[in-house]
Amino acid sequence: MELDYSFLEKTLLLVLLAIPTTLKLTVVSVLAAAPFSLGIALVRLHQKGALLRLVTAYVTFVRGTPIVLQILLVYSLLPSALKAGAAGLGLRVDVFALNPVFYAYAVFTLNTIALLSEVLRSALGNIAPGQMEAALCAGLTKPQAYAYIILPQALVSAMPNLCNLTVNLIKGTSLAFLMTVQDMTATAKIAASYGYNYIEAYLDVFAGYVLVCSIVQCLFHYAERHVGRYRLARQKQG
Amino acid sequence: MLKIRNVHKKFHHIEVLKGVDITVDKGDVVAILGPSGSGKTTLLRCINFLERADQGEMEFDAVHLEFTAASSREIAQIRKKTAFVFQNYNLFQNKTALENVTVGLTVGRGMSRIQAEAVGMKALIKVGLADRANFYPAQLSGGQQQRVGIARAIAVEPDVILFDEPTSALDPELVGEVLAVIKQLAKEGKTMVIVTHEMKFAAEVATHVVFMADGNIVEEGSPEMMFVCPKEERTRSFLRRILPQIEYNI
Amino acid sequence: MRPFDPSFIWAVIPALLPFLSVTLAVVAGTLFFGSLLGGLLAAGQVSGGRMVRRLARAYIYLVRCTPPIVMLFIVFYGLPKFFMEVFSLDINAWDKIVYVWISFTLLFAAPISEVMRSSYLAVDHGQYEAAVSIGLSPRQAFLHIMLSQAAVVALPNFGNAVISLMKEGSLAYTIGLVDLIGKGQLIISVHYGARALETYLALTLIYLVLTLGVEQLFSFLEHRFSGLPPSDAVWHPVKPGGEV
Ligand SMILES: Nc1ncnc2c1ncn2[C@@H]1O[C@H](COP(=O)(O)OP(=O)(O)O)[C@@H](O)[C@H]1O
Ligand SMILES: [Mg+2]
Repeated sequence: MELDYSFLEKTLLLVLLAIPTTLKLTVVSVLAAAPFSLGIALVRLHQKGALLRLVTAYVTFVRGTPIVLQILLVYSLLPSALKAGAAGLGLRVDVFALNPVFYAYAVFTLNTIALLSEVLRSALGNIAPGQMEAALCAGLTKPQAYAYIILPQALVSAMPNLCNLTVNLIKGTSLAFLMTVQDMTATAKIAASYGYNYIEAYLDVFAGYVLVCSIVQCLFHYAERHVGRYRLARQKQG
Repeated sequence: MLKIRNVHKKFHHIEVLKGVDITVDKGDVVAILGPSGSGKTTLLRCINFLERADQGEMEFDAVHLEFTAASSREIAQIRKKTAFVFQNYNLFQNKTALENVTVGLTVGRGMSRIQAEAVGMKALIKVGLADRANFYPAQLSGGQQQRVGIARAIAVEPDVILFDEPTSALDPELVGEVLAVIKQLAKEGKTMVIVTHEMKFAAEVATHVVFMADGNIVEEGSPEMMFVCPKEERTRSFLRRILPQIEYNI
Repeated sequence: MRPFDPSFIWAVIPALLPFLSVTLAVVAGTLFFGSLLGGLLAAGQVSGGRMVRRLARAYIYLVRCTPPIVMLFIVFYGLPKFFMEVFSLDINAWDKIVYVWISFTLLFAAPISEVMRSSYLAVDHGQYEAAVSIGLSPRQAFLHIMLSQAAVVALPNFGNAVISLMKEGSLAYTIGLVDLIGKGQLIISVHYGARALETYLALTLIYLVLTLGVEQLFSFLEHRFSGLPPSDAVWHPVKPGGEV
């Protein structure tokens, strides 16, 4: 098949230059979501009653609906909600002048909160109860036990799922163009629209995502070996 | 009836069988003894082509073949003449006891279901498990599972049944019921090759005893000869270790 | 902008529901073709030669890095051009759903093949050996003994794959397929952008019912086929030391 190679090259550069946008979306969403996710995971593991039902409903909603629908929903809900909120506070904000990337952060954070809470819940749930008991017996408080004993172990066993979550989130951010964020997909789309070079443009985007995902997976692989040292040591002994 | 000659088998450059010959005649019960790791399981698996031997020949009735050159048609032929009873039973987990016994007949040999069920029930009666026909393996004790395994093997009317340590995965109190079934088969004149560590049982049922060590046959002969006055030192020390009281018992 | 009107959520659902069939057709077609391709990939990995195994692995790796929207656009823009230049065939008139099927088949074959492969490997190889030892051919052993057991193992992961396919399939509207979301967009544009929130909420409800329904279905199937004793076999625990 005949491809426009000079366009392919030129656009590849543009796409690669948009990689930071994708990474920023991903990293900010995960970091912003993490505390909430941890809270939800703990609620789902240890709480009963209304709070549990509330967070369960939230997780079910996020897991049960397409992310594109979440984007459309937030995109049509957030401006008026913000306006109402600002008015309530007596502020005058022009919500339509807001950088669209703000909406993207909101959507992907809200989405990640739920998915990450599931990862953390299963990781925390798989830590042997004896670990907590031993920590308490050793004189640690419950929060200390979580911080120094439980969470570090949970993080190790969560690594593969965290990697999956991150890769999926990176792929998910390809929909940020729906909110007019200038990420890889949007950049390519615009470049393609002048000369109808869509195939070349999307092949570039494909290459960009393969590159980003590969690097992220390598990093996780490395991190897993780093934080999981104690496991390796055990394997070598056994 | 079954003759294998010069069987060699390597795993990752380690020779596990170093030229084994065995002859089994109709009605024989051949007991194979030997320390763990001596290649007994591998030998049985080679006969049934669960492993492919690296060298050697087989004569099974009219079929003559080289292990390395056997075609899939010949393998299918040999497998239909033999049956295998596994150390860990390997019952089909998703099938009832009766279905375990009949699947070799219906699927493997195209027998009608009704006919196969009649044959299957007869086999289950023989191993004393007619009342467990509709039980799943997970619902049976180890001894019962192994008896179903034996029923599955005899139902297809093989010329030779190969047993690989049929009782060594069982709790001691369940061993007896399985050995009793095999003894009954021996009485009926079934041809069998049995790898076992149950010396008393071997002495009772075997017509021929083979002692293996390090991938070779060290010594073979009648049970009387093998258990009472083995010639080779290795056989003697093995027997002394595994059954110190053997000299007084037999 | 008109104020939020909850009653519109209920009012719009009957207009959306006829297009449920399109959404389901996307899922069903993809599952069918994706399972075929996934089966090939799994077989290639389990029993293929070195080269085949590598190719299958590479394919799965690349697909794992591909956002669905990118695959969809590559197929949607690339395939007509490819057919035109290679076969001089104009396929622009093909129904949009064909492009959707092709894109998602290419995508979903990868996770489905992983589900198949891991469930096949989870079945004890002794089951296969026992089957051939009583005279089943390797093919029969696979079909009658391995496959059904592997299928049970695969059920939960397969269910998850179906759910994520159902969700990602919703991207089909971006190339103009009128499925649930596509219809929703049409309704919104009829109202000049008003009623967007209500329509999306209605779609959310429909998708929640769909995904929860699929989840329930698979957990039912899992229970049904997980080798729990059927009612006609009464379970008598065997006491140590003797027969019941
Ligand atoms: N599939 C295999 N791969 C590698 N080594 C094997 C395999 N099967 C058996 N062996 C090795 O071959 C030797 C003989 O094994 P086996 O035939 O099981 O002995 P036995 O049944 O007499 O205990 C052992 O050292 C075992 O580790
Ligand atoms: Mg053995």
